[in-house]
Amino acid sequence: MFVQEFIAAVVPLYLVATALYLYRALKGPTIPDHVLGVDLLSYNLAVLFIVLGIFFKEPILIVTAIPLALWIYALDIYVAKYLERRVMGA
Amino acid sequence: MIEELLVYTGLGLIALGAFAQLVSGIGVNRFRNFYLRLHAATIGSIWGCVYPIAGAGLVALGYKELGPYSTFMAGAAFVTSFLVLILSPAGSHALARAAHKTRQALVEPCVHDALDPSMCVRGGGS
Amino acid sequence: MSLDLLIYAVGAVASLMSVVAVYLALVERDLVKAVIYSAIQSVFYSLLFYLFMSPDIVLVYLPVAGGVLPALLLVLISKTERFERE
Repeated sequence: MFVQEFIAAVVPLYLVATALYLYRALKGPTIPDHVLGVDLLSYNLAVLFIVLGIFFKEPILIVTAIPLALWIYALDIYVAKYLERRVMGA
Repeated sequence: MIEELLVYTGLGLIALGAFAQLVSGIGVNRFRNFYLRLHAATIGSIWGCVYPIAGAGLVALGYKELGPYSTFMAGAAFVTSFLVLILSPAGSHALARAAHKTRQALVEPCVHDALDPSMCVRGGGS
Repeated sequence: MSLDLLIYAVGAVASLMSVVAVYLALVERDLVKAVIYSAIQSVFYSLLFYLFMSPDIVLVYLPVAGGVLPALLLVLISKTERFERE
């Protein structure tokens, strides 16, 4: 089958999307914009991890995607907590 | 037969994810304030992350060259897609709530804001 | 041959983007934005470690640089002041 060639044709599109997300993550005027950019970058990276794991034919590489999804959610919650603590005065 | 069907469905989902990520990247750069950019980010996280990861799991189920651990890869891919499906809307909601409460991002081209009318900047250009 | 070229292209793009993020984290005055820039750098470094075929390093590097370090720095910034002075 042509799985490797198809993935080699699709991955450059993901790289273009990475560049677009990075532009917003570096530019974004307010802090929530930066955090949204990091969020999208990391979800893009999770897809790249799994798709390149199929490309290399090494199934053990896939375990890196689950901690990525969990810890980026933790980063969201930290920043939201930091912003709300300043307005509540604690 | 069934393996080929699984592989073709999965590759179609991966290509759909690439297209959705491109649309989301353009939208994130073109919209004008934070709350509209959140709308584009939702496209990038559900259509662009949940569906390609589930498609990669389908590919791993049908692709014989992965060896004996291909079912492990499929299970991990389905678990990851389910986690992203739950966690990414929760994170976006927490971020938007914090940004609106602490007045970090104003609602720039605004028609009506029922939560806090003082954040509504009417007819804003830029 | 072209399939190897794809891997080199992914690595080159990731390393170039991480250099931009590191430079902006160095020159930024707002310390919260500097923390976010260092998180961007850690995302690209984890992609590089993945391409070097070391998923164990990725498993250690992601919680440290993506979760624990920004949390500690945000707690520190909330205890002190946010903007860096001359």
